[in-house]
Amino acid sequence: MRTLGKFGRYGGVYVPETLMPALEELEEAFATIVPGEEFKTRLASLLTDYAGRPTPLYHAENLSRKWGAQVFLKREDLLHGGAHKTNNALGQALLSKMMGKERIIAETGAGQHGVACAMSGALLGLKTEVYMGEVDMERQKPNVYRMQLLGTTVHPVKTGSRTLKDAINEALRDWIANLENTHYLLGTVAGPHPFPSMVKYFQKIIGEEASAQIQEKTARQPDYVVACVGGGSNAIGIFAEFIDKPSVQLVGVEPAGKGLDTDKHGAVLALGSFGCVHGMKSLVLQTKEGQIQEAHSISAGLDYPSVGPEHAFLKDTGRARYESATDEEALSAFHELCREEGIIPALESSHALFIGKRLAQGEAAGKSIVINLSGRGDKDLHEVMKHVK
Amino acid sequence: MLSRDRYAARFRRLKEAKQGALMPFTVLGWPDEETSFSIIKTMIDSGASALELGIAFSDPVADGPIIQAAAHKVIENGYTVIQALDLVAMARKYDADIPVGLLVYYNHIMAMGVEKFLEKASACGVDGVLVADLPAESSDEVLSTATAKGISTIFIVSPLTREERLAKIVEHASGFIYLVSRLGVTGVDERNADRDSRLAALIASIKKVTSLPVLAGFGISTPAHAEKMMAFGADGVITGSKIVDLVSKAEPSKMESELSSYLKQMVAALNSVKV
Repeated sequence: MRTLGKFGRYGGVYVPETLMPALEELEEAFATIVPGEEFKTRLASLLTDYAGRPTPLYHAENLSRKWGAQVFLKREDLLHGGAHKTNNALGQALLSKMMGKERIIAETGAGQHGVACAMSGALLGLKTEVYMGEVDMERQKPNVYRMQLLGTTVHPVKTGSRTLKDAINEALRDWIANLENTHYLLGTVAGPHPFPSMVKYFQKIIGEEASAQIQEKTARQPDYVVACVGGGSNAIGIFAEFIDKPSVQLVGVEPAGKGLDTDKHGAVLALGSFGCVHGMKSLVLQTKEGQIQEAHSISAGLDYPSVGPEHAFLKDTGRARYESATDEEALSAFHELCREEGIIPALESSHALFIGKRLAQGEAAGKSIVINLSGRGDKDLHEVMKHVK
Repeated sequence: MLSRDRYAARFRRLKEAKQGALMPFTVLGWPDEETSFSIIKTMIDSGASALELGIAFSDPVADGPIIQAAAHKVIENGYTVIQALDLVAMARKYDADIPVGLLVYYNHIMAMGVEKFLEKASACGVDGVLVADLPAESSDEVLSTATAKGISTIFIVSPLTREERLAKIVEHASGFIYLVSRLGVTGVDERNADRDSRLAALIASIKKVTSLPVLAGFGISTPAHAEKMMAFGADGVITGSKIVDLVSKAEPSKMESELSSYLKQMVAALNSVKV
């Protein structure tokens, strides 16, 4: 490989030999095809005309008044497909098309990445198959139907915890067996190199737009940028542009599930330890002897026992800080956005909203806060209604 | 005996006798410690040339459904990595000369620490370590420690491994070369005749750059498969999923005899073809 894609001690390439040819081919394609004019032109046109970029940066005046800070929402929920996942899926699907692959496979947790792949596969004529944990299929039924309508085969994953981590294992196994004609369209900034760097490349448009938009609106850069972190793609996507702007505080929000003092959470950056899973070194929820543990979150999209290696690195260097919100706290923020602004947010993004509120009511009073509204909440109605008494 | 000598001594003896190596695999502690030990003893008593023993990992991406299920069962039982290594020590006590390889995922080594893990493995009589998710690129993290402790580092070569990679792999490899003889994960699925036809050339290209024995694994479950691999120029075969499958389907009272009869058929097949 050209490099091992390390972020400090995190990242790297830790996969069976059988997968190495595919990673080498992908790294080469990422380095040669993606910077080319043809690719850039086609992707830019798809993002604008098909997906609806740029997404708005919305000044949420009701929330701002109520919370006591200037709150701006980056409206990735308005992107085609209903979440930021489309940025990456279109990019990688186009890349696989130009690499001559006939088939894409993907893992999905909340189903948003699966839907984004299903759309991209239908658009570009790629046979699409998605692995999804049985538990997640139950939690996110509408997204299963959406994928099927779009012509994608959804394979239920029945091993392990039957959630996102096991769906990734199954997708990796499929790729190992079919790497000659298949691209594994990984949905987050995790996995072996080049995925963390490549997915970041396709998601950094969120931060680029947000930075320009807030400059336009307020004539300055924001004080805070807040985003939820499962694998971490929407957070890296919005952080990337601000990493070299030291005045901007970067805050990632992990799922605290039923509480950090219970074993039902997904707060990997807060409570995980150094380990190796899914082809990378990162922080991991694991037993003392190295068995990977199950994560828990009300939002299937954050339910992941590891995290993108760059987040672990940003945490170690102190460039970003990571907070967490419980299921209950995320739900309260979910309802608040519905009532105050008439926007139904994804449960994932609701975690970021809650911490945005806490900052606004504390250290960030009167400051400007950009919150990444990474997806819309239609997919979560069933889950939310279970909690409405 | 220095551990890497056990591989060398065993392969030398097989070569002189013009016999192929049978390297059966099972998951340590599966389905429980006692049965696991009796599986291992049956392997040794039925003519296994060397053993490949796996440590159960929660997320074994290189393994198919049969070995995954076995690994998950071991973890559910609460069987630990230390217990697994101690079971290797029991096997070592049972047979002082048989080469024993450990198949492990990297997270278990990281969790214990490279130095401590390999020290413990060495003390338990392990001769070689194959880290399933540690490709040659990243292997310098364990190589020197393993070498210092006399543990061979086993690497995989796949049908898609290109020449430059092969050179890098054999540079780090010792003990033997683990040839993944078909694309995909471990299992007992049908083999693809068209792909198999290219294996002879692959084995020849490996033999051009290393004198290490080449053992074929993945999808090797019948005596016919073993004969085929020998005809292609392999020095032996590794069979794992078939063993786990056979044991899980056997009546407990007949398990040992059925396993033994399967292994003996494999040994016979391996000995019938050698050039």
